[in-house]
Amino acid sequence: MSKSDWNSPEAARRIARRNASELRFKMIGLGAIVLSLSFLALLLVIMLKNGVAGLDWRFLSGSDSTEATVAGVWGATKGSLLTMGVTLLLSFPMGVLAAIYLEEFAPKKRWIEWIEVSINNLAAVPSIIFGLLGLAVFINTLGMPRSSPLVGGLTLALMTMPVIVISGRNAIKAVPPSIREAAYGIGASKVQTTFHHVLPLALPGILTGTIIGMARALGETAPLLMIGMRAFVATPPDGLTSPSSVLPMQIFLWSDEIDKAFVQNTSAAIIVLLVFLLAMNGIAIYLRNKFEVRW
Amino acid sequence: MILTGVLLAVFGLGLVGWFAARGRARLLYTGRGSMHSMPAYHGWHMALWILVPALLAWGVWSAIMPGLVEGAVFADPAAASLPTDPMTLGAIVSEAHNLASDPSATAFNPEARVLVEPIRAAQARFGLIGALLVMVVAIAGGGYGFTRIRADFRARTQVERAVMALLLAASLMAVLTTFGIVGSLVFEAGLFFKDVSPIAFLTGTHWSPASTMGANINDNFGAVPLFWGTIYIGAIIAMIVAIPLGLMSAVYLTQYASGAMRKWLKPMLEILAGIPTVVYGYFAALTVAPMIRDFAASMGMQNPSTESALAAGLVMGVMIIPFVSSMADDALAAVPRAMSDGSLALGSTKSETIKKVLLPAALPGIVAGVMLAISRAIGETMIVVMAAGAAANLSANPLASMTTVTYQIVQMLTGDQEFNSPKTLSAFALGLVLFVVTLILNIVALRVVKRFREAYE
Repeated sequence: MSKSDWNSPEAARRIARRNASELRFKMIGLGAIVLSLSFLALLLVIMLKNGVAGLDWRFLSGSDSTEATVAGVWGATKGSLLTMGVTLLLSFPMGVLAAIYLEEFAPKKRWIEWIEVSINNLAAVPSIIFGLLGLAVFINTLGMPRSSPLVGGLTLALMTMPVIVISGRNAIKAVPPSIREAAYGIGASKVQTTFHHVLPLALPGILTGTIIGMARALGETAPLLMIGMRAFVATPPDGLTSPSSVLPMQIFLWSDEIDKAFVQNTSAAIIVLLVFLLAMNGIAIYLRNKFEVRW
Repeated sequence: MILTGVLLAVFGLGLVGWFAARGRARLLYTGRGSMHSMPAYHGWHMALWILVPALLAWGVWSAIMPGLVEGAVFADPAAASLPTDPMTLGAIVSEAHNLASDPSATAFNPEARVLVEPIRAAQARFGLIGALLVMVVAIAGGGYGFTRIRADFRARTQVERAVMALLLAASLMAVLTTFGIVGSLVFEAGLFFKDVSPIAFLTGTHWSPASTMGANINDNFGAVPLFWGTIYIGAIIAMIVAIPLGLMSAVYLTQYASGAMRKWLKPMLEILAGIPTVVYGYFAALTVAPMIRDFAASMGMQNPSTESALAAGLVMGVMIIPFVSSMADDALAAVPRAMSDGSLALGSTKSETIKKVLLPAALPGIVAGVMLAISRAIGETMIVVMAAGAAANLSANPLASMTTVTYQIVQMLTGDQEFNSPKTLSAFALGLVLFVVTLILNIVALRVVKRFREAYE
């Protein structure tokens, strides 16, 4: 019997062994995903189990309180909305304009490279560093009011802008040159081409990136901790400069309470926050699917 | 405030100017090619001439007005009787300002009441002067803009030049932010290193910034236990969880899963990355940490603490899984198809190809991805704040309570202590170390990725 005899029991054993090892490897891969996803499932189930009973109108419309049964999330939600409003108003126009400049107009020069490098680095800087910047610049140097949605929004805008620039550049890059050439061909100037043709076509992509960046900012706690947004605020903030809390901060503050009754509040607030994030990501996915053009 | 009102008036004037200039330019139109720019560009040109100078004037006036008000108030006879001590004087003046804007505010110094009337009068006077100044500038700018409306005037070129300036300013914002971060961290850390020697800070092993005991302040600011805790939690425990799970997930998703499965599993895995860190922190503190404490107790440990490095590291690892997975995904996708095809053609099975060909070929990319993941893990704050503990232990026991750089930054800055104490300033020194380390990790990783891509192109 030669060694290359495929019908020998020896060959059959070797093939079986290799098949088994193949299957084992595949199962390890599947197991890794299942294990990761079961963490997610466990987290969601525990939050739902603890929190769902606390979700009622009183909880959704109330503000923070020392009494677990009367505490609610509306104050923190309103603070989050105000903060996100400031963030969006600043980071979206700035991010889009910067992306347009870098992608369409920037000359290939040394100092332009500096801008690109600093944007890429800012996107990877830990969020707590932005909090230190906000504390040192906005509060200590410019004297803006502590724990206000204004300062929180400014800090988060600096953090979100690089995300919008990067996604905006990718969206603008994806618009084919033929669109631009057609516009030049009928006599449009470079600025007209960009704002009348390239930007509208890139907008769905830019919006998707913006929503994802905003969702990240909405869940961010650490930088806001630095600028003092951890005050106990028993009434919803009535302006951009009044002390306020935000949803993730409310979760953090309640998680520190010794009273066991706050476990339910914390979990319910987490459910509220996750619902917001899920809705934002859902909108982003919808936009991408609805308006994405394959050139 | 009259200055806020005048801002609205300026914008209204800009709108009026836009329509007026466009209307005037339309009258000039006599047929194809009779004008250089379209009427709307004349409108924009006019609006810019109204808005830009007026807003500049407004900004300058808002900046100098408090100084002018101050001068006028001190020149007032009512201010003559004030104490000269700068501390008390400052307190009185700031109280008087509060009273002037809100009469129901409380004042501790009776002298503050005296100053209210002069402050109000000065504010009204200088506010009115400023408002008039801004309006004059706006009208003058608009008048100049209006005279430029001619058939051959290149309004579009001018407007586009302004647009370019705006675009450039927006891009420079990123550089400004970087300078802001580096500047503020270096400045505040510099103040800290005036009191504490950098060498003692980077090599000392005793961290107790709260204690004022001990003759030498250098002994209380040894940050090595913090660095160790950060590395142990973020770069060791978290990576032990994240690397195998993330890598194997990526292998399965790219090599084995069918298109439909991949379409469902990948977004689900990415949900893990979208969950806010404060939720992970709560999950760690509520569920994982007690489980680990009970486990430690069953192993015969005396008084295990609820806060352990293991709990924080485990949960942080779970958080990082999708990140490692997507980096490994990219690295595997960058390996040329011909390499795995060649291996398969020689008769090796799929798993043999992955283990012997694909993974070694993708290794530089995977390593870079892991470096980025580590930089993200060591900068992570909320999980360690909620689950890791405050005690600066220099130990290798994963069940011990450990503290990290980010935890201490939060700890130092969320109390109500005065700002310029070494304790508060140490947060900025820690922040500087964190910033430099993550920056180096990111730059090196991006270099490796770039070189790795080039190797296969």
